[in-house]
Amino acid sequence: MSQLVIETEGLSKRFGNKFALDDLSLAIAPGRIHALVGANGAGKSTLFRILLGFLSPSAGTARVLGRDCSALTPSDRTLVGYVNEEHTLPEWMRVRELKSMRQREYKGWNARAFDEVIGHYQVLPEQRVRELSRGERAGFNLALALAQSPQLLILDEPTLGLDVVAKRAFLESLMYSNATEHCTVIYCSHQMEEIERIADDLIVLERGRLMSHSPPDEFCARISHWICDIPFMGPEPATIPGYLMRQKLDGLHHYFVLDQDAAFAEFLRSNGARSANCMPVSLDRAVNAFLAKNHATPTHSR
Amino acid sequence: MARTTPLMIDIATGDTRPIVRQITDAVRIKISTGEIEPGDQLPSVRGLAQQLGINPNTVAKAYGELTTEGWLEARQGMGLYVAPRRQRLSRGERERRLDDAVQRFVAEVVPLNVAVDDVHTRIDAEFAALQRRRA
Repeated sequence: MSQLVIETEGLSKRFGNKFALDDLSLAIAPGRIHALVGANGAGKSTLFRILLGFLSPSAGTARVLGRDCSALTPSDRTLVGYVNEEHTLPEWMRVRELKSMRQREYKGWNARAFDEVIGHYQVLPEQRVRELSRGERAGFNLALALAQSPQLLILDEPTLGLDVVAKRAFLESLMYSNATEHCTVIYCSHQMEEIERIADDLIVLERGRLMSHSPPDEFCARISHWICDIPFMGPEPATIPGYLMRQKLDGLHHYFVLDQDAAFAEFLRSNGARSANCMPVSLDRAVNAFLAKNHATPTHSR
Repeated sequence: MARTTPLMIDIATGDTRPIVRQITDAVRIKISTGEIEPGDQLPSVRGLAQQLGINPNTVAKAYGELTTEGWLEARQGMGLYVAPRRQRLSRGERERRLDDAVQRFVAEVVPLNVAVDDVHTRIDAEFAALQRRRA
């Protein structure tokens, strides 16, 4: 087994009284596309900032490509590509200038990868970055990141605000470009539709903690949706095994539960259910139910 | 000239079936109905991934399962082909599934109040059409 691409142990980051990362131990093997999901404030961006060496942890360790994140050298940094949701690039530079600057900075520059990606967008060399549309800037940013031949590519909500064509082009560049063949991709997104299409691996963060790490279909299979007919009140959530979320619709109780098998029907019957039916859930529903459990809600609605 | 037989399938995100499962189900149906036949070449992993807009590893996984189950076969350096038809289920399992299917069918048809002879005629016609497609 080759060395881990990302390895954190007991990683914590505290801002005032709030833990953005809380004892996070994460190990990511080389290759493939790893999706990272979590509610807003789950600690994704903080994790990226620590991995990139922009922020130092309050406790614990973080390593990228076998190197300690707090001591990355410029040449280590050339091996990590980073694309953020704002697609932050120097606004005043021309496309041609920025490209040749990056080309000088990165020894492993892959001109073919750049052309392959940028070909999907109408970006002219003499245009200034600020003159590009959001989609064009995203495409240009991804082209730059892939051309640097990174071993690790971190994408933080890269398709936010892109139109359908630009989004498809972006995902195609990511999945079918030769440049990503030897690259590990960390893909952070709230769009389950995208994650279902591209992810080999799903990492769920919640309040700075690692909640789940498995292929998406295995994650999905752990969550089931039960519909039962219980007169009056259902059981108290605290007493329900694997409880994630419930809804009452047209007098029927809907429960989303984790890691429950057929025995859960017995539990429902023993709580007065006249009927209990189980069905599988989509990835979108699964992630939603999983994160709903501890998601902030106004106290009066509880 | 393309030797690949087109695979006219699509996948849906937000389905309760994982994408791997959607692909394996669709291919099994196409083979069972004769829409694609033994000896037909399937799209490459990359080609089908691009057609469906999904990760190539997902297609590879689906093809892997279908190959293990004997629906597809790999030819060295040539790609994947629909495997020759052979019995994939045990006799007992076939009996059980046939029984299930007949029970379900009868349960659906009885409330329709159709003459049994008409039902027979319709079934015969459906099977005949299937035979013609396979021939």
